[in-house]
Amino acid sequence: MNFDSFKEAVVRAAKAQGIEEYELYYQAGESVSVSVFKHEINEFSSNVNGGVCFRCIVGGHMGYASTEDLSEASAQDVVRRAADNAGILETQEQEFLVEGGQTYHPLELHPYELPTTDKLVETVLAGEKAVYDADPAVIDGSSASARTNKRTVAIFNSKGLDLHYENNSSVFSAEAVVSNGQEMANAFKMEAGSFDKLDLAEFVKEPVEDAKSQLGADVAPTGAYPVVFAPKAMASMLRTFAAIFSSESTQRGLSQLGGKEGETIAAEIVTLIDDPFYPESGTPINFDAEGSPAVTKKVVENGKLCTLLYNLKTAAAAGVKTTGNAAKASYNSAVTVQPFTMYLAPGDITEEELLKKAGNGVYINSLGGMHAGANVISGDFSLQSAGFMIENGVKTKAVKSFTVAGNFYSLLKQITAISDKVELPGFGGITAFGAPAVLVEGLTIAGK
Amino acid sequence: MISRAVCEAVLQKAASTGADYAEIFAEHSLDHSINMVGGSVESVNDTVIAGVGIRVYKGLRSVMATTTDTSESGLLRCAAQAAEALGQGTAQIEIVLRERLYGDIHPVKIVPATVPNKEKVDVLKEGVFAAKEYSDAIKQVTGTLLDIDHNILIANSDGVYAQDRQIRTRLMVTAVAEKNGETQTGAARPGRRMGMEMFEHEVNAKEAGIHAAKQAITMAGASYCKAGVMPVAIGNGFGGVIFHEACGHSLEASSVAYGMSEFTGKLGQQIANPKVTAIDDGTIPNAWGSINVDDEGTPAQKNVLIENGILKSYMIDKMGGRRMGMAPTGNARRQSYAFTTTSRMTNTYIAEGTDNNDDIIASMEYGLFAKEMGGGSVNPVTGAFNFAVNEGYIVRNGKICEPVRGAALVGKGSEVIQNIDMVGTNLDMGQGMCGSSSGSIPTNVGQPLIRVSSITVGGR
Repeated sequence: MNFDSFKEAVVRAAKAQGIEEYELYYQAGESVSVSVFKHEINEFSSNVNGGVCFRCIVGGHMGYASTEDLSEASAQDVVRRAADNAGILETQEQEFLVEGGQTYHPLELHPYELPTTDKLVETVLAGEKAVYDADPAVIDGSSASARTNKRTVAIFNSKGLDLHYENNSSVFSAEAVVSNGQEMANAFKMEAGSFDKLDLAEFVKEPVEDAKSQLGADVAPTGAYPVVFAPKAMASMLRTFAAIFSSESTQRGLSQLGGKEGETIAAEIVTLIDDPFYPESGTPINFDAEGSPAVTKKVVENGKLCTLLYNLKTAAAAGVKTTGNAAKASYNSAVTVQPFTMYLAPGDITEEELLKKAGNGVYINSLGGMHAGANVISGDFSLQSAGFMIENGVKTKAVKSFTVAGNFYSLLKQITAISDKVELPGFGGITAFGAPAVLVEGLTIAGK
Repeated sequence: MISRAVCEAVLQKAASTGADYAEIFAEHSLDHSINMVGGSVESVNDTVIAGVGIRVYKGLRSVMATTTDTSESGLLRCAAQAAEALGQGTAQIEIVLRERLYGDIHPVKIVPATVPNKEKVDVLKEGVFAAKEYSDAIKQVTGTLLDIDHNILIANSDGVYAQDRQIRTRLMVTAVAEKNGETQTGAARPGRRMGMEMFEHEVNAKEAGIHAAKQAITMAGASYCKAGVMPVAIGNGFGGVIFHEACGHSLEASSVAYGMSEFTGKLGQQIANPKVTAIDDGTIPNAWGSINVDDEGTPAQKNVLIENGILKSYMIDKMGGRRMGMAPTGNARRQSYAFTTTSRMTNTYIAEGTDNNDDIIASMEYGLFAKEMGGGSVNPVTGAFNFAVNEGYIVRNGKICEPVRGAALVGKGSEVIQNIDMVGTNLDMGQGMCGSSSGSIPTNVGQPLIRVSSITVGGR
């Protein structure tokens, strides 16, 4: 059955089982993806997926159960399982469902026609060709892929909430593999948005150049240096450590920012914003995973922590209002807290000026192994890096196979300059991170 | 789940435009987990995953379509979509399915889905409270008891019609310790391909909690590891993650078949130190990464990957096998019907050697003993890897000395396996979830205590 019939079946089942406070969350997607290898389409996939999460307040606790099987029997089963799961919970915090009838930020949905399957095929073939044409060092293994995604989210609850959202998105990516006869290197770039604006020859320059620069690159010398993070590297640091700004983390003792609202936690030049309607995010949305209105907020302003991110439950526990940051990793996940598009606000100097300010140091172009080398709770990180040496204020020889180590809480205070252009590396999801280039003093580089 | 007759009709439809291979993967799975934060049960995740993935091949081209509509008409629609995407042509193959019973080498005594929540909570609490009550320095404990019950059906144009039920249970405890305002974590995450009987003889929940607490406290008192190049002894069990990441991924057909691995074309060559023998074995009874049959219908196998340093085998799925001209090895895996299957590891380990464990530590004048490893990642093209050391100690004059934190091991797969110059005798396994293009799947890593003669240690 479809979602509307399933919804009715759930309402009947809840009534029959005497459950009064409940919510049904629905998420469905249709995606098409195409990839090319050695000049031929090698993979094509067309996926339809989706599921529902039923949650209900029983005995003061919120029980969850989810299913991808939208049948009458499944509707009864999901209600029974959620009530049963509520029975073992021991949380003290009060649980809430959003009241219906709230006001939501008007959404300017850009009319966005998804590329057809033929267009996807044409784009990946041309994209792969552009990679090969960009440089003679490019070898087989280089590839391109494209994907379209239609996403539907609906939330319905027993308090009169009935929200619905649809979004189309498309993503193009290219990977360059290069060789100098002795060794290979690779780099990858992904961008969300319309394919009409895509200049393939221009797009592939960055991954090809990044990969090429790693050929014959030296291992960076060990020491403490001024470090410049490229925008995409800084965005990936933010993604990794974003959980420290979550009230759920602070309330569980898993972030050190608990009770620090109003205090200085970063250098004065640092302003961090969470914006559900960031123009380049591709997935603007005006309600969060509980159905609260999504709003733009400054998380850090001039180094001062203005607010943590909250959902209904964590806000009530802290005695504040929700910031509309309830989130679900997937339709079947418990409600947690996440930013929408979180970005470090730009400074007023160019990246060239930033490098001059660094003088002699290391430029980090890419970071790897984030899940291994970063401890979100302690803030410690030791991350695999590649980039360039900075000598007399300019990028010089490429370096690789080194780690950059420090602590994220300290890093926020060690930022001494921020460039004027924010980049938002494309991931195509609801949560995105952006940053300009930043200069950080006092990190350790471990290489040779 | 889906009858043989319906599967035949659906495969026929999928292959109607000239496919030379067609496959149905259907699943109806239960994923259940209970989560504790501090001393109380905070949430329960409880999901039914139900859907079908249909794949067709023609030469080196592969098409997949998925659906959650598992009615006959829904399946036929999905098959038609796959057939259409493959191209225009006429049927080339005939579909005749014969049911196969592979048997179950991983018996389950207590199916978790039939155990009341309350009993599961009791086990989880045993682990969490053991950590919480271990010391006043423990400031926070989180715990999860996870059980998964996957019913899968594979039918393909090679004639396979087979079902399997994959049941797994896992306990995870993470402890946070605080000393002088600095916090550090410790963890234990034992799991098996078995039911709740795991807690009767294989895993002691209390010990898991204590392990997590001890590790957190040790690390909270540690100073930062100094960076440098040095010999490193890597502990048994989860220490095998280094082989998994640095070499295992580069031996998967998904890298090798595309020329994206530093080990492409090296079968029969000496790629590792003669001390190194490495194995991927999906048939270990009740092991976390074990299977009866892979997700393409190939029975699980024990594959010797490297024998005394010589490359013997890759891990191969059907499409990888086509590109490489080699047979599949029982390594095709996917997180769920929604992911495209590719070659993956099962239980991958470095076999026991002949070096005395004490001799390994005694051999080091100055170095690092990475007693317990954390996660890691690798770029298969370059072999560059990065691992966190969760519990590390400085070794001085052959003796294990003070703990150090924040250490990472950085290097290149092909180099590090040449530099494994001592292999001990205490083989053990550690459990992990491995993420790759076909999703997140349970895998075991393993090894005895080993010594790497020289590696870059990242620290500060």
